[in-house]
Amino acid sequence: MFKFKSTFIISLILVLIFGCFCITSMAVEPIKIGLVSPKSGNYAEHGNMERIGMKLAVEDFGGMVLGRPIELIEVDSETNPDIAARRAKKLIEVDNVKFLMGGVSSSVGAAIGAVCHELGSIFIATNENSDELTGVKFANKHMFRVPPNMAILVRGAAPYVAENLGKKWFFITHDYTWGQSGTRWARFMLDEVGAKEIGEILVPMGTRDFSSHLLQVANSGADVVCVTVGGFDGSALYKQMSEFGIFDKMKVWWTLADYPDSWTLKPEQRGRYGMAEIYHTVTPGLLELSKRIKEGFSDAAVPVVETNSYHGWLGMTAILKAIEHAGTTDVDAVIKAMEGLVICDNLQPDPTYIRPWDHQFIDSCFFIHDLKVPGDDICEVLYTCHAKDFARTISENPVDLTK
Amino acid sequence: MNINVILALFFNGIVLGLIQTMVAIGFSLVLGIGQVINFSHGLLFAFGAYVFWYISPIIGYWPAFLISPLIIGIMGYAIEKTLIKRVYGQDPLFGLLITFGLSLAGAELIRMLWGKTTKTVSTPDFAAGQIYFGSIIYSKYRIILAIIALIILLSIWLYMSRSNFGAIVKAGMFDSEMITALGHNLPALRNKVFVMGAVLAGVAGVIAAPLWSIKSEMGTDILMPAFLIALIGGLGSIKGTIFAGLIIGVMTSLGVLVIPRFTDILPYILLVIVLFFKPKGFYGEVTILGAIRGE
Repeated sequence: MFKFKSTFIISLILVLIFGCFCITSMAVEPIKIGLVSPKSGNYAEHGNMERIGMKLAVEDFGGMVLGRPIELIEVDSETNPDIAARRAKKLIEVDNVKFLMGGVSSSVGAAIGAVCHELGSIFIATNENSDELTGVKFANKHMFRVPPNMAILVRGAAPYVAENLGKKWFFITHDYTWGQSGTRWARFMLDEVGAKEIGEILVPMGTRDFSSHLLQVANSGADVVCVTVGGFDGSALYKQMSEFGIFDKMKVWWTLADYPDSWTLKPEQRGRYGMAEIYHTVTPGLLELSKRIKEGFSDAAVPVVETNSYHGWLGMTAILKAIEHAGTTDVDAVIKAMEGLVICDNLQPDPTYIRPWDHQFIDSCFFIHDLKVPGDDICEVLYTCHAKDFARTISENPVDLTK
Repeated sequence: MNINVILALFFNGIVLGLIQTMVAIGFSLVLGIGQVINFSHGLLFAFGAYVFWYISPIIGYWPAFLISPLIIGIMGYAIEKTLIKRVYGQDPLFGLLITFGLSLAGAELIRMLWGKTTKTVSTPDFAAGQIYFGSIIYSKYRIILAIIALIILLSIWLYMSRSNFGAIVKAGMFDSEMITALGHNLPALRNKVFVMGAVLAGVAGVIAAPLWSIKSEMGTDILMPAFLIALIGGLGSIKGTIFAGLIIGVMTSLGVLVIPRFTDILPYILLVIVLFFKPKGFYGEVTILGAIRGE
């Protein structure tokens, strides 16, 4: 009798312990989000900033969604499409990650998007601007793109540039998908705004010295040099433009003006115009986010919210909201929740809307001019425009991801 | 095509070539006298730029200009004494691997010390601004830089070609055993050459810092052009290295007019052509394989 009783009690205790363990394990299973973002290569600084934005968005959600903790898994894309694709594949197949974001470089974004489509995970392209990511070539139902594409950025700026800066344009093009996309759209706008192409130089990625290119530009007779060059190359080009007195000879229009490029220069070296996807002073919410970056991230490339950090924040906010709305982490359900999602608390003057048919985020852009002033507030916002007025229509971009 | 633009590009190529030559000379001498392919040489260039960036706001431009290369020379001394001298006479793969590993570790050390973000070094006030040659604008700093680089390179060339030290170094490239037999201290000689190369790389880093944004990978970016220049010019030949550096600089600069997307491959094409007809380079006395085998 005693033996049976003691055996029973011990068995009951063991069952209870095992049961608690099972319940605990189920309750804390995190939702994994893979950040395939550059920590090295041409866009390392951009990657750093976008990861900061993503982490702040997770903080805003209290680190949890659907009662489950959010686990971020960071991998370095090295700004290399092959490496990024391989690492994305590993995240999905080995780490069971259903949601990925990052990229920065459009080539890298396209590669990750393809992997996610093949393996059934969602990819949020947070800072890739090439048209093709939401175009016929690369768009797929598993990929969403946060920043405006080059059609939006260039169509929104070209009329102002032709009217106020000059009509004889010389193009400097970063020789890959994104750079070619920017120049292609600027060329497309030439007739519409009454401008003329004077010449073009294609610049391979990894170019550090632009002296030879700038000598040609300076002697081209152009009024405006239209630049689609990014990353470290872009910073170097901007600096050398100042060195060669380009700003005294002509106006410089950066089709996508990244704040870090301006930030790394001394005030007297600045002078470009360009379309920025965000500027940190336009709303109190953005000022508050900037404060959190300054206080919380001493390794931030710039101490304010800018394009990369904002899009990291917005992309993460969108996916977490979609998971919340869907009530599940099932990929198809989350995709459905993302399509048509309106984000009112996006810290911008107007809400963000995710277009269902091409998965493009639609919100505001800001045409800025870099000022030769010290401090954090180094740009004047010349005007604000909305992507809905300049984004490609379905007839221009015959993609329908809802089918 | 505007002839003034062509002339400006030609001059620009000379400037670029001179900077790359300053790095290449050290690389070539170390390979010639030590039979070691020193992949950490670019690291010294990068450290030169970073040290200059770090100390120039504290002590001023000219003191930093003088002190930074000396600090890099001390680094070079330490690297040669602790690592490089262990691979002399060994399988060339050892030297290649050890220096390659050092270059990776060094880049990571730079990131740990100074972060991952790009740094900007301002052009000194006395050299800021532009100079006009008719309708051509050119950077004043690059002109001054070209003059400084040319003075340094000519000085090195004269010293190596006229001094006892230069004669011994040249002899050591052909027959290191004979040098030892004649009573010269070969290890000390190799160390001096390594330090000289390090100082030159440091100077190149200092003068290049205001031109290009500085980042931890900048050593890797400069290493391949330096390697090509050393091979094309001829290992251990100062004259050859200067000549090759200028040709590559001019070719790359003018290449932007014709094939801007592919200017980076022009030095490689030149390498193939030169080595096909002259395996020892323009002014070299030994091939690269001969050098690393100590033939």
